[in-house]
Amino acid sequence: MEALLAFVVAWKPYVLAAAALVVAPVIGALLMGLDRILTARIQGRVGPPLLQPFYDIVKLLGKAPIALNRVQVVYACLHLALMMLVVVLLAMGQDLMMILFVHAFSNIALILGGMSVRSPYSRIGSQRQIMQMLAYEPILVLMVVGIYLIFGTFQISRIPAGGVPLLVQLPLVFLAFQMVISIKLQKSPFDVSTSHHAHQEIVKGITIEYSGPYLAVIEITHLYETCVLFTVVALFWAPNPLVGLLLAALSFLFQIVLDNACARLTTMWMLRYMWTLPMVLAVSNIAWLYLRNGASLG
Amino acid sequence: MPTLLIVAPILFGILAWLSPTAPLRTLWVVLGGALTCAAGILTALRGAAEFTLPRWSDNLAYGIEIAVIAVIFAISFRLKDWRIGLLAVAQMVMAALERLLPHAALPPAATFVIDPLSIILILVISVVGSVIVLYAIGYMRKHEEHAPDTAAPTGRFFLFLVGFLGAMNGLVMANDLRWLSIFWEITTICSFMLIGHDGTDEARANARRALLINMFGGTAMILGGLLCAVQGNGNSLAHMMSAQALIPIALLCLAAFTKSAQMPFQSWLLGAMVAPTPVSALLHSATMVKAGSYLVLRLAPAYQGTRLSEIIAVAGAFTFAATSALAISQSNAKKVLAYSTIANLGLIVACAGLNTPLAYSAAVLILAFHAVSKGLLFLCVGAIEQKIGSRDIEDMGGIMYRMPITAMIALLGMVAMLAPPFGMLLSKWMAIEAAIFSPLVLFLIVMGSAMTVLFWAKWIGRIQTVSYHERYDAERLPASMFAALIILGAGVILTGILAFPLIPMTEGLVRGAYAGLALPEASFKALRTAGTFAAWPIFLFVGLGLLGAFFAVRRFSAAVIRPPYLCGENVGGTDVSYSFRSLMDKPDTAWSKSLYLKPVFSEDKITFWANLIACMIILTMFGMIGAL
Repeated sequence: MEALLAFVVAWKPYVLAAAALVVAPVIGALLMGLDRILTARIQGRVGPPLLQPFYDIVKLLGKAPIALNRVQVVYACLHLALMMLVVVLLAMGQDLMMILFVHAFSNIALILGGMSVRSPYSRIGSQRQIMQMLAYEPILVLMVVGIYLIFGTFQISRIPAGGVPLLVQLPLVFLAFQMVISIKLQKSPFDVSTSHHAHQEIVKGITIEYSGPYLAVIEITHLYETCVLFTVVALFWAPNPLVGLLLAALSFLFQIVLDNACARLTTMWMLRYMWTLPMVLAVSNIAWLYLRNGASLG
Repeated sequence: MPTLLIVAPILFGILAWLSPTAPLRTLWVVLGGALTCAAGILTALRGAAEFTLPRWSDNLAYGIEIAVIAVIFAISFRLKDWRIGLLAVAQMVMAALERLLPHAALPPAATFVIDPLSIILILVISVVGSVIVLYAIGYMRKHEEHAPDTAAPTGRFFLFLVGFLGAMNGLVMANDLRWLSIFWEITTICSFMLIGHDGTDEARANARRALLINMFGGTAMILGGLLCAVQGNGNSLAHMMSAQALIPIALLCLAAFTKSAQMPFQSWLLGAMVAPTPVSALLHSATMVKAGSYLVLRLAPAYQGTRLSEIIAVAGAFTFAATSALAISQSNAKKVLAYSTIANLGLIVACAGLNTPLAYSAAVLILAFHAVSKGLLFLCVGAIEQKIGSRDIEDMGGIMYRMPITAMIALLGMVAMLAPPFGMLLSKWMAIEAAIFSPLVLFLIVMGSAMTVLFWAKWIGRIQTVSYHERYDAERLPASMFAALIILGAGVILTGILAFPLIPMTEGLVRGAYAGLALPEASFKALRTAGTFAAWPIFLFVGLGLLGAFFAVRRFSAAVIRPPYLCGENVGGTDVSYSFRSLMDKPDTAWSKSLYLKPVFSEDKITFWANLIACMIILTMFGMIGAL
């Protein structure tokens, strides 16, 4: 027992990383299950059981593999591998900016997978997903910049545990980040590249040509990503994890309500919207931090 | 050895030019390339050095300078372009003035200096440049078959192509301002000759524009040298830097902007794509544009901490963002590559302007990685264009099957431009972290990076689009082209793997560059932190992903393959079909074009305003240091 404890202490970052790799998809799946139940209740349905996302993935994994070509499978695997890398780097307390890049490339892998097939719906979905990235990626970078301006480091491991919660110093960035989560979870009004709803004008968009185990790989990646997103929300109130969890729960509810209250809008509308309101929010928050730190804006 | 670096390419270029037969010419070109490459590597291994030519060489340099300017004057006469002629006359007058005016007595400086920065440039020029020359042998043989009647002889082409390397090597070693401007003008002449090689109206017009813009830069450079001498600050880069003569330095930076095709001077590089592809590859990766970024980097410690530095950072970052936006709307492969080159040079300039150890290190790494990847990409586009007869990205679907090797290498080059674990992403990461205290620069770099991803992803997506095939057959390429692709492809992989360990290695270079400034030790902290980044998880997970993919596709057979979803209207048959039943049951192929966002990002919407802003930034640059 003591040997085990010593091992854990000595290898703490790696143990944390391994644990995160196991726990993250479970949390992601539970969140997704909860999402489906809540959405069903809002729409006056009963909805699936909480563990439905698990059942779906298990079923997908058991199906016979079919595909259009080899390339799309390669990119599905990279999509998952890079998202797992994000989780590992986060757990190890690595450089936030690099984590952001790796996260972006996980999504780019999915985009490239969708583009590699001669399928019009898949290609259109991919193009739209690029536009989504263009819309939210700058805000994520601004968020990381804000964190640097507060703590003076990009290394998560060097960020002190206590102190003033992030939410107090980055309130506007937090609001902009909520919009980013909406895009990331493919919620209305931003679900342009693919959608959870039964039908949309480009059918299933970016993932239409994936099926069976390959679709399962992409679904698992989404579990990881969902968990990462709401963990980041919770970290906005890091000094007290309970408040952090409450924050994440509120954010989660907000996403579901927004999804059910809005209709899907066009891709260009999304880009224009994201580059105006959320961008202005984030930029003004960051500008305030610069001014507070006494730097010139030039 | 340094003499060999300059003389060997020029000499073998002349031999190639004089060769009566093609095989003999090939021999001289191969020998010249091999010798330059070897000399470059040997020089790098020997390390830093200084060379002082005897006093009589001043007269020699003066003679060469006048001769070079006279050549340009003669060209302007033949082109009947009074603007170029006027610039040539102005240069000649200033060169003579500089010679006639009394000089302040300063300790003599070395004529040529080889320091770590020069060594990086020499390696890029000699190795990447020689590989491109090698590629040109096979390419030009094919090119001769369908070149227009107006094209110049291939011998002359190789004279300027190989000679270019010599001039560039001289340029990055020169400390004496007169030698610097001699080599500067020679590269201008070389690029003029090479761009105009095909002799078509378009080629001639673009060559003339390149000459005009670069002559403008050259004039700024000679004016800078003259001012420096008049102010009594000597006639070498070292003198100018230790005196912190800001106005001459700003003029040299202006010259660097023209050569690096920074906004608003980008038009000449965009026009240069009419030349045969090896020329584009050379101009964009190993030579010419690198001269500008080299000069900005070389001078960076001299303007560290000044307003000039801040505005240079803004100028570079603006070029980066604006040209990345412009690249989105282009479907012409060479034009996308050209805009991407300008963008990366802008990033280098921005890093030089940020002027911290981390930024300097990032700039050097970008310079090196960009040379290898961009050289490779141009070579690939050249091979693709010769095969499919188009340089339009939309026509490149299916080349994975038609030319799998070139397509795979092209994919490698593109992925290396943006994805982990390759060096470009790494240096961009360093650049963003270095820009953290300059909000405007940071914002421009971030927006630019996002748009960079958009245009690369579109292109990668198009290239790798492929129907299922049981097996792929390698295409046939001329041996020299094939060898060049393999060498540079290996180089890209190697620099990708070595990228992380390279960061700590640049620390010595950066310390050397900032040696005279006594920067506080804390300013090196960011660079050291970046150097300790644990890279192995990245390699581990990318490896795992690829391994998983390998096992997934290993057992692929035709039985696994299905047609795409076309609303159930697929045309039936035994084969997998990509057609659907259209009106009146006629088969039709589903096709979706890539996104070019022309209403937002097209050239005629952006270029004018971006140029205007860039002009204002440059005017501000001179205003801020009190030159206006």
